[in-house]
Amino acid sequence: MSGTLYRDVLMDHMKHPRFSGKVEPADLRAAVNNPLCGDELELTIALDGPLIREARTLARGCSVCVASASLMGEAIQGRSLEESSRLSQMFREAMASGTLPDPPPEFLPPLMQIRQHKSRVKCAALAWNALDECLHHAAFPDEEKR
Amino acid sequence: MSVPTEAVRAEFPILQRAIHGHPLAYLDNASTTQKPKAVIEAFTEFWSRSNANIHRGVYQLSEEASDAYEQARSRVACFLNAPEASQVIFTRGTTESINLAAYAWARPRLQPDDRILLTEMEHHSNQVPWQVVAQERGAQLDYVPILDSGVLDLEVLQTLLCRRPKLLAVTAISNVLGTINPLPEIIALAHKHEVPVLVDAAQAVGRFPLDVRALGCDFLAFSGHKVYGPTGIGALYVQADRLAEMQPWQGGGGMISRVSRERSTWAEAPAKFEAGTPPVAEAVGLNAALDFVERWGIAEIQQHERDLTDLALGLLVEEPGVTLFGPSSTDQRSGLISFALEGVHPHDVAQILDESGIAVRAGHHCAQVLHERLQVPATVRMSFGIYNTDEEVRRTQQALAQVREVFA
Repeated sequence: MSGTLYRDVLMDHMKHPRFSGKVEPADLRAAVNNPLCGDELELTIALDGPLIREARTLARGCSVCVASASLMGEAIQGRSLEESSRLSQMFREAMASGTLPDPPPEFLPPLMQIRQHKSRVKCAALAWNALDECLHHAAFPDEEKR
Repeated sequence: MSVPTEAVRAEFPILQRAIHGHPLAYLDNASTTQKPKAVIEAFTEFWSRSNANIHRGVYQLSEEASDAYEQARSRVACFLNAPEASQVIFTRGTTESINLAAYAWARPRLQPDDRILLTEMEHHSNQVPWQVVAQERGAQLDYVPILDSGVLDLEVLQTLLCRRPKLLAVTAISNVLGTINPLPEIIALAHKHEVPVLVDAAQAVGRFPLDVRALGCDFLAFSGHKVYGPTGIGALYVQADRLAEMQPWQGGGGMISRVSRERSTWAEAPAKFEAGTPPVAEAVGLNAALDFVERWGIAEIQQHERDLTDLALGLLVEEPGVTLFGPSSTDQRSGLISFALEGVHPHDVAQILDESGIAVRAGHHCAQVLHERLQVPATVRMSFGIYNTDEEVRRTQQALAQVREVFA
């Protein structure tokens, strides 16, 4: 029952991705790709102090990649960088362990569906890899300017 | 003559498997083929009866293992119509074979501003090794473009050959487009310009006649696992003059003649290029695989795959939203078809097909330069083997309707 429901959520995000596109000008930017399949994704973030004022992703990828980026986009709007980092960690731990934190953040249960197909977890991870890269740039701004 | 599919299928235990409640339709043969009982049993037999390290033992088992390994080499030489078994070097597969040619032959010869000629349709395994040695030596790469029809532009090939590259490295059959390249014509052109030719035969072996003497190629690389044999074994055929020019690439046991503290002298080819304990059981398995394909007949296998390709092309061309890549005629293409389905990412197509037990590959198929040229990030690829059936092709077409439904 809930499996179908979450699949519907994923399909909805795939067909109508939220926060898609680019933020201009952006304070943080990361372009990542999946070398195994060629999928590409760019995340741009505009900050308001320590808060994410706006984050958008431009994904050229499969349904899982696009849906995960969309769910992530919803989850991090208006959050602090620190909170976003925690969400990313939650995503990774849940994907690795198969267990949801209690209570689970809204974005996570639909993404758990993807664990049934191990080869697709990396598709879901692409957006979160971009987020981690942006967070890294924020933490080490000098490194970014290299 | 066609292949008696039912009898062939009975030789492949894995085809008994059900996937998600459906019979397995394995349509990823361009990636790797399934293994017949004869190959599985050759492995078991070798491990059970003859396993030992080769060449350095004087005991019975080692002699048996050495014989089996060298018999496999002779079998490959015979299969390719190579003049001498010593011109066949065993490797881990096509990739290692091409790396061997790149490191042992090209690397010591390349000078700054020398050129290597590739094509836009090469698999990464016939592109990246050349990039690596070219970068190190300051050499340049040129690419023969493809025409929109999916065949090589032979006019540009002529022009690029005039730049006198040190080598032309070209695939026999594109792993994405299925294009069968006109090797005799290409090799004759290259040789007219005194350019040696390496043929990547990964997609051709076992489904297309390969005769290195008739082709006149300088190098030919293939993998065992794409010809119903084991993984971890492949070969590089080298023409005699090129073989004499090759320098050792990996040092170690088996490849030496005499070793002192300061320097060593080398064994004769092929041992010179096979440092360390080789994949003996895998070579035995490859021998059995070549027996298997010759028992059913390369021409028959080729015809069988061609019939399936004709059927699939005919069905897919009618499918809404399908874009087909590669030559439209089966005269110029082998048994694989890459396509895109409008509005659905290839991964998603492959996932839904998997739910019906159909195994196809989705992605860039290790040919990113080609996908750039085709202006698509990825494609879905179905590729046929000796055991595939019309029914599997039709099932795939029906499953595509489900894909459209899900992603409508």
